Amino acid sequence: MASSYTHVGRQIHRATKLVRRDVKDALQRRYFGLGSATFQQPAATVSGSAEEIVIPRKKTWNKEAVLQALASTVNRDPTASHYVFQDDSYLTPRTSAEFKLYSLAQESGRTAAKYFINTYPKYFQKDFANPHIPCLMPETLELQVNEVSEAALIERIQLRKVKAAVDMYDQLLQAGTPVSLDLTNDLLDLISLYGDCDPARGDAPEQRTEEMGEEQEDVKRRKGMPQKASDFLRLVWRENNNAERIFNMMPERNRRSYGALIRGMVKHGAYSKAFNTYTDLLNNRLTGDVHIFNALISAAPEVREKYVEKWDLIVDLLKQMAEQKVKPTLLTFNAVLKALRRCGSLGRTQAFPVINEMKALGIAPSLATYDHVLGIFYKAATSAQGHTEILQDVLSEISGKSFTAQDPDDVEFFKDAMRICLATKDIEQAYRVHSLLGVGENWKLLGDSYYQSIYYGRFFNLLCMMEHIDVVLKWYKELIPSLYYPNSQGMRDLLQALDTDNRLDLIPQIWKDIKRMGHDNKTELVEEMLSLMARENQIPEVQQSFADCALDVKALYTQTDRRVPLSWSAGSLSSITSILLAAERTQQAWEMLKLFKLANRVPSESLMNQFLESVKASNNAQQAVELVQISASFCLSITPNLMERVQQEFDLTEEQRNTLSDLESSTAMSD
Amino acid sequence: MYRRAILSVYQRRSALKPPRDPRLGPPAWTHLACVPVFRAAVQLSRRAFGSAGVQLCEKKEGAPAPVAEEVKNGGETTEELQTEPKKREGAASKTEKELKDKIENRSFQETAAVQTDNTVKAKAQSPDFRTESESDSDSDSDSDSDSDSEAVSRAGAKTEENKITESAEERKSTPASPEKAKDNEVGKKGLLELLGAMKVEVTTKRKLKAPKIQRSGQEAPPRPGEMESTTSMFQQATSEAASQSETLSPELVEAASAAASTLPDSTQAKSELLRQLRKHEAVSQEQRKGETHDIGNIIADMKVGRRLNGRPNARPANQIRFDEDGRGYTHDRGITSELDGVRRRKNPFLTKRLSIFPVGAEQEPDTDLAAGPTLWDADLASQIVQVVNQRPRNGFEEMIQWTREGKLWQYPINNEAGMEEETSVPFHEHVFLERHLENGFPQQGPIRHFMELVVTGLGKNPHLSVKQKLEHIAWFRDYFQQKQDVLNEAETY
Repeated sequence: MASSYTHVGRQIHRATKLVRRDVKDALQRRYFGLGSATFQQPAATVSGSAEEIVIPRKKTWNKEAVLQALASTVNRDPTASHYVFQDDSYLTPRTSAEFKLYSLAQESGRTAAKYFINTYPKYFQKDFANPHIPCLMPETLELQVNEVSEAALIERIQLRKVKAAVDMYDQLLQAGTPVSLDLTNDLLDLISLYGDCDPARGDAPEQRTEEMGEEQEDVKRRKGMPQKASDFLRLVWRENNNAERIFNMMPERNRRSYGALIRGMVKHGAYSKAFNTYTDLLNNRLTGDVHIFNALISAAPEVREKYVEKWDLIVDLLKQMAEQKVKPTLLTFNAVLKALRRCGSLGRTQAFPVINEMKALGIAPSLATYDHVLGIFYKAATSAQGHTEILQDVLSEISGKSFTAQDPDDVEFFKDAMRICLATKDIEQAYRVHSLLGVGENWKLLGDSYYQSIYYGRFFNLLCMMEHIDVVLKWYKELIPSLYYPNSQGMRDLLQALDTDNRLDLIPQIWKDIKRMGHDNKTELVEEMLSLMARENQIPEVQQSFADCALDVKALYTQTDRRVPLSWSAGSLSSITSILLAAERTQQAWEMLKLFKLANRVPSESLMNQFLESVKASNNAQQAVELVQISASFCLSITPNLMERVQQEFDLTEEQRNTLSDLESSTAMSD
Repeated sequence: MYRRAILSVYQRRSALKPPRDPRLGPPAWTHLACVPVFRAAVQLSRRAFGSAGVQLCEKKEGAPAPVAEEVKNGGETTEELQTEPKKREGAASKTEKELKDKIENRSFQETAAVQTDNTVKAKAQSPDFRTESESDSDSDSDSDSDSDSEAVSRAGAKTEENKITESAEERKSTPASPEKAKDNEVGKKGLLELLGAMKVEVTTKRKLKAPKIQRSGQEAPPRPGEMESTTSMFQQATSEAASQSETLSPELVEAASAAASTLPDSTQAKSELLRQLRKHEAVSQEQRKGETHDIGNIIADMKVGRRLNGRPNARPANQIRFDEDGRGYTHDRGITSELDGVRRRKNPFLTKRLSIFPVGAEQEPDTDLAAGPTLWDADLASQIVQVVNQRPRNGFEEMIQWTREGKLWQYPINNEAGMEEETSVPFHEHVFLERHLENGFPQQGPIRHFMELVVTGLGKNPHLSVKQKLEHIAWFRDYFQQKQDVLNEAETY
């Protein structure tokens, strides 16, 4: 019995062994088939005589493929606000300020949650997710290893605690423990990157980057200072800081040690020092790597005065790269072009050779490359004459291409291209730029909301200037308010466009948008709109809608609960009055006339004449007399004239005549 | 008021007239050249712009008086000659000799050099032509060039004047005038052939020099298209010059015989004419040969000064093309011109490169990159992320973002979705579990049999991970070991 079992067992064993071998073969074949379809292809062509079977290569999809396909089916809804606000209709932004506020609020809410999770990790240890989601768990930001060891140093470097890491390194050296070269290099990297200061915590409650952005915007607006001004002020490469100290203590240094130091020096503004360090590197018979050269090239314009000298230095660096067999990257050439922006006219001759060099080396330019080219050829100060075709060339080079962000300067392109379009009043190129924005993922390269508002602001400004009002309004509906919240200047441009194409009848509609976008407190804008409405007589319906609009404006002026109340000016008062008069709303116009007195403003003489005309039309003698009285009270020089006309053209009662003659005598007396 | 203005203008014009006359020469002469009688002249017309240009240049350099004088002289001589046809021939040869003398007295290289420049410039007729000519010609050749160009212009003026007068009495002097024109032409031809030859020198020089100067970084990138056009243009000019020297001579002979036949003793006149012509041809060829050698050096020196000027050298070529009346070299440039247009449109991205880095050479792989991303790389990445617009535009994009962050279960893209733990485990680990029975279990017997069944079942179970399956087997191992006593008792172990 037992023996028979063993026999069966053996049989089974043998069989499975055979099977295993078979299956292994089959597996190999299967993998083979999947892995190298190309290899199979010739086999298929050999065997297939009549119909060739082309086996397609195995396509590997990334995990977002389905979602990307789905996302590409969704079009933008120009009537809706941005997607991030769609959760809460109450928080739908109507103005750019609200947009900023709400999006920052959302961000800061997330950051606050993250901050608490990271600060009190012990309360957030329960892992609900299965499979585990690492990013939802608290990050360990506290130091775990406390004894003096290399592990502690590694931990401090990973947690980017610069000061603690430096202390640990010193303690290690004092204890006589040698620190490996790689680890020291890591430490140097850390110190150099942060300029020997502890970096701010990424999840600190006050959103550091956003705030910095705001500051920069302000600075830029006010003085036009370079973007990184605040950075330069904040972080400086101090003499003999820890990086240099550790570097000097190092028993042996390799290329990375030098690289860390040079990059840190360049990042924190010690340019000439960086070049000295590079000379040291060469003296020690080491060669640079691509990052060192990139840093040096970007520092090159800082250490030379003349354009030619700057360029010669850059060319020299490039030649050294070629000698040392360092392969340049996109960032190398972008750094060269960025430096060329500061080489004046020299840049114009050298820009294209640089780009062609890139192409010859098979490096695809990024948007930053093209942005630098535009920057070289279109200086803000000089007129762009003679180089108008460069933008065209660039656009025909890149139209239809999708770009990914590879350089922090990539986001400058769209903004700058639109600036040039605006400067050259070239609507065709503007459309091309805008269509480029719609290609692929290029919209991501438009930058943050500030850059977006600049871009769309310029585009809309150009449209208002160059296009017919119908096209402008089409774009207006397309862009506003889902993408762009125009500032008051943008709305004034729109009003001017309306004026140019004689479509003032749309003003009441625009006024609604102005109110919604919170520009109704901009005096200049409101007054311009009023004067446009008051300027000429329209057909009655339009005139009525103007009058409604004017009353709306009046209501705004009389509101008292505003933070910054609008103050009446003579222009706005008389505009509203004449709009009301033209719409034959005499009663309301009469009320306006009384406001002049309250606001201590003087109505114009033409307005008084207009009033008299309307009073005459209704043939109200009493009002006419009152008008003269008001006029007299303002001591207008037109008063005698008005008086005369009232006496001639109206049937006055005795009493009224007396008042008039009293007035006459009093004005004569005052004269 | 207006009348006064007009009057004054008129006065001005009349005052301007005498010195302007020679200036008006070239166009008038070109028109006249269209008359069939002056066929040879027509052929030469293209070449003749050299002298015309020189003349213009001369005027601008502010020495009109001698020219006018010379022109007058020329006019007088021709008038004289018209009355007496026989003498006229002698006079013609006299002018010829004068011309030759002048040519010989000159240092040829310099003249030629100046002429090339002047030619180009006269064609360009740009307002800044003087400055250019100054910057172009070397300082040492300046003094010479003045006198040279004067002389040449004199010659040119004379021929023009001759032709003008001839046209006035065209029919009357038909027999003699072609001769004279031809004589003058030959004189000019010598010069112009020199020009043709020298132009080639110029272009080759330019071609060679272009890259060198490019690298010095002083200059606008030369537009290859226009460079091309200039070159081809000059090459064409040379080829025609060469062909003319051969094809013209039978024509000349023919014309000479025709002219001579009208004279009283035709054979003598003809032989005289031909001798004269041959002599001249030989001289001019000699001159040309002698010149081309030295000119190269001088032009080599001259061009540097010009290019340092920072002016795109292609511009004059452009303007030449526009100034031509359509019969010039524009129409037969053919494909070159078309290509030229194409190139010019794409120009900036097709210019030459810096040529610092070797293309295709496999450079040392960066050892640092192999070590994994450093802090700097992380910093760059975070910088890029910060500036880029990351806001999702719709729900799907938000889901993509979540997927990237790892917050969202991945959308299934194949039938192995959600099997993250098992991705690294190969298939056979799941199915062939028998090897785990090797230790801890008897090699045979009912327990072994039982376990083989268990293992087969586990191998077919898709719901358990390999780890769980192994745990399962391990549990049985422990279980049977614990129960070993009982099993031994039952003698089944």
